[in-house]
Amino acid sequence: MSTPTATTSPQASGSSRSRRRWWQRQEPPGKNESFVIGQSRAAPYLFSLPSILLVAAILGFPVLYGVWQSLFRRETLASDPEYVGFLNYTEMFSSDAFWHSLNRTAIFVFGSLVVGTTLGLFFAFALFRVVGKLRFLRAVTVAPYIISNVAAAVMFRILFNSQFGVLNEFLGWFGIDGPSWLANPDLAMVVVIFTQVWTDLPLTILLLLGGLMTIDKSYLDASLVDGATGWTRARHITIPLLAPQILISTVWLSYSTLTGLGVVLALTGGGPLKATQTMAMEMYTVAFRNLEFNQALAIATFILILNALLTLGYVAIGRRYEYEQ
Amino acid sequence: MTGIRNQDETFGEPTAQATTAVTGRPPEQARTVGGRVRNVFRNLLISIPLLGLVVWTLAPFLVTLSVSLKDRAEVFAEPSLIPSSPSFSAYGEVLASQSFTTSFLNSLIVGVGTTLLTIAIGVPAAYAFARFNFRGRHLLLLFTLLPRLVPSLGIMVPIYRLAVAVGALDSRLTLIVVYTGMLLPLAVWLMVGFFQQIPREIEEAANVDGANLWGRLRYIVAPLAAPSMIMIGVLAFREAWNEFTLVLVLTSTPGKRTLPYELYLMQGIEGIANFPGEAAFTLLTVLPFVLIYTRVEKYVVAGLISGSGK
Repeated sequence: MSTPTATTSPQASGSSRSRRRWWQRQEPPGKNESFVIGQSRAAPYLFSLPSILLVAAILGFPVLYGVWQSLFRRETLASDPEYVGFLNYTEMFSSDAFWHSLNRTAIFVFGSLVVGTTLGLFFAFALFRVVGKLRFLRAVTVAPYIISNVAAAVMFRILFNSQFGVLNEFLGWFGIDGPSWLANPDLAMVVVIFTQVWTDLPLTILLLLGGLMTIDKSYLDASLVDGATGWTRARHITIPLLAPQILISTVWLSYSTLTGLGVVLALTGGGPLKATQTMAMEMYTVAFRNLEFNQALAIATFILILNALLTLGYVAIGRRYEYEQ
Repeated sequence: MTGIRNQDETFGEPTAQATTAVTGRPPEQARTVGGRVRNVFRNLLISIPLLGLVVWTLAPFLVTLSVSLKDRAEVFAEPSLIPSSPSFSAYGEVLASQSFTTSFLNSLIVGVGTTLLTIAIGVPAAYAFARFNFRGRHLLLLFTLLPRLVPSLGIMVPIYRLAVAVGALDSRLTLIVVYTGMLLPLAVWLMVGFFQQIPREIEEAANVDGANLWGRLRYIVAPLAAPSMIMIGVLAFREAWNEFTLVLVLTSTPGKRTLPYELYLMQGIEGIANFPGEAAFTLLTVLPFVLIYTRVEKYVVAGLISGSGK
């Protein structure tokens, strides 16, 4: 797929107002605006302090504490932590379990991206044609969002059950002997990917649909004059114009799969034969099964760094499409 | 702000121009015979992917519903989707079990507590960020990125260690405080947008009329911001109701867990898997939100779009 740079893409000249999207965070009002309506100077501090403190205590401090603690180690749970420098990291990078989980994570993230983006685009295109007409479809689209990861895992476990699952029943109609999905190391990953995508797809669809709605109709009309229809138009006009939304949903899916634990834990617990032992699962196992908390914090820090890189990409995408318009 | 506006745009009525662009031909053509045939064909082409969407989304629900209405032996003996003799005994079993009733109550308390605390702490902060120019306003920008930078997975281990250290395990209050801390950045950010949409002039006029800060908040800002507060509330409640990663490590004793944790344990505890029980438990977990879902759907959609930083 060719992704046009924003300068060559037609939307660069499109109306910037209507193309503003949620990720293009609005800047706070400038200083020239008059701010102080109230009489009290203390009011803003009193108002905002509880929030700032709580966020610092719940999100900020634990991360710093975790990174700091990843430089320590305890012989037993009761013993005092001992400073070991980067020992936890060097051991992590030389352990097979870590590289195995990195490999599993790569497959999990990449598989979810492919399945999620393909299905998201397919359903977004379908919904775009009936937009505003069928309220029922909107409710259906969003339904997976209101389900917990565990509930989704139970549902998919029933759906993919090898003995009574509807899917194997369905395959049986075509003479296919359905496999035992969750017992087979390769297929278990497929089930995990589909379950994860199922829970994440509502946002993907809405993002892409929102993108479709903002495409300037004149490009589509112009392409019609040139005789482009159907797949050709989607391939050469619509999908390139959707590039920002596709990129954003890609980054979001990566974030969600990289840091997602609930679906994997509830569906397979990392098995069978560690086939779905992603990095999130590995961190959980090291921490809460082996009770090696400091070692687990090294994995957690590694995940946080990967995630920070993703966030950078996300910000970069937002800026590029915001500023070049 | 963006959330609500986005949703209206996304699902707004299509313009005639849009229809033309989508179908690729002017509407008049539908009046000719050939056009009508093509219309039928096109409708078919449109409805098949939509049917796919409905099946994709609803199949897991329907399969679960089907299993929940059978008994344990029937699940294996009759794999058909429609049970021959549906019974609600699995539901009765779940509803009578201690694990469901206590965890349901816990989830309810934690959900309501998180919602109230998020609004109580987040709304004043958002008002301050939106209306006052004070040192510390730049923290708002940090708030937009924090939920993304710090997923719950990242704080799972440290927050467990910290909770152990201060003796805060197995407490609903801990869950409420932790969930609120995780939700606040997003909630504050969304509310700032809403407050900025309320015209400053209204408040200035009230100020001239002698209303003090409290009076303006009480009689002007609060009523105007009410819909957005509902949205934040729905967002917070959904998060607290479904959260699994942190409750998994912050609670350990029976009677303190919330629904997702209890459901997770149910899969392991039963020797021979009790599929109807699991299915019924799952649907009963989902049910309360589904019941209010139709009423709050637009808030859910808006929250979903704007809350994707979660």
